[in-house]
Amino acid sequence: MFKKYYTGNRFYFLSFILLMLPQTFYNQPAFAHKVTIFAWVEGDTIYTQSKFSKGRKAKGALVTVFDMEGNRLLEGTTDEKGECSFKIPQKTGLKVVLKASMGHMAEWKIPVEEIAAAQASQNKMPEAGGPTCFQREEIRRLIDESLDQKLSPIINMLANCQDRGPGISEVMGGIGYIFGLVGVALYFANRRKKL
Amino acid sequence: MHISEGVLSPAILIGGAVVTMAGVAIGLKKVDNENIPKMGILSAAFFVASLVHVPVGPSSVHLILNGLLGLILGWKAFPAILVALALQALLFQFGGITTLGVNTMNMALPAVICYYLFGWGVKSGIKQRVFITAAFASGFCAVLVSSILVGFSLYLTGEAFLPAAKLIVAAHLPVMIIEGIVTAACILFLKKVRPELLEEINV
Repeated sequence: MFKKYYTGNRFYFLSFILLMLPQTFYNQPAFAHKVTIFAWVEGDTIYTQSKFSKGRKAKGALVTVFDMEGNRLLEGTTDEKGECSFKIPQKTGLKVVLKASMGHMAEWKIPVEEIAAAQASQNKMPEAGGPTCFQREEIRRLIDESLDQKLSPIINMLANCQDRGPGISEVMGGIGYIFGLVGVALYFANRRKKL
Repeated sequence: MHISEGVLSPAILIGGAVVTMAGVAIGLKKVDNENIPKMGILSAAFFVASLVHVPVGPSSVHLILNGLLGLILGWKAFPAILVALALQALLFQFGGITTLGVNTMNMALPAVICYYLFGWGVKSGIKQRVFITAAFASGFCAVLVSSILVGFSLYLTGEAFLPAAKLIVAAHLPVMIIEGIVTAACILFLKKVRPELLEEINV
């Protein structure tokens, strides 16, 4: 029995390998079925990080920034690491929309408080230029810088948490749901038959 | 191939929903008691298949199995795929609720097309070679037509058709081949253990 299929199988296997080869040379943006964008404020800059499910970076995807009323403020594309950063265009709440290829889209809202908080620590200019005042500003700036540095791994971790693939509970839940529907359908079908 | 929310214009969303509703209505009309469990099992298979990633080349795409569903279920693939896509949208956040109509149309319509194109090839009394080729072609073509439909949906919203469609088709080439093989293997297996499943094919 095995011998009978052997030639057929070998044919499919060979054509499979042959057709697979060019794939390894393609250099297209990676994609899957879900894309996420994560944005945060550091100083006067907004950083964004975009990736597809399973952690592949969204390279060369279009990032558009809107205000809360939906007016387009600016546009950019993500770099090799799926990151894109820009200066805060205006001090209102912002909506960052990512558009990757093949109909994938995601958005992230930055509330106005987050921007105001980041700006407040940045924009406080030393008043009346006293030496103590300058020192205080200097210290504040240094603290901010080191905080940003210290927090960036945590921010990255949060960004990763955003992109948790479906787990076993979702899969089992879905399958159970479908079988439940089958049960309901059979119940009604049987009742119809009896009547 | 799940189109996210907010990408398509309302007109296309409504159009897709109407086509899907018509398909589901036709599909439900053809349902009788015996094939409800079959639909459930295939719907569950479709639901889980989206988690099987095909890590070929730099792109990561996943199995779809709509060719297999189409070949066995025919029009009944519409309700089966609708249920599976709804659960994928709710539980996995693949696609979305507003795009459910369009996504179902893009997946289920090729399934029905493949049923009519290749259904004759997987009946009993057909030569082994033709049988395998028809099953393979069904799995292959279902994904191909789905890719083109997705490209077309994006085109109607304003994206250039050829680049979008080319990108999608090229990216799904490995999936098409794997789907063809999986479909052929499944149908061959079914022919051995449950040949009566394939007897229902009526084209």
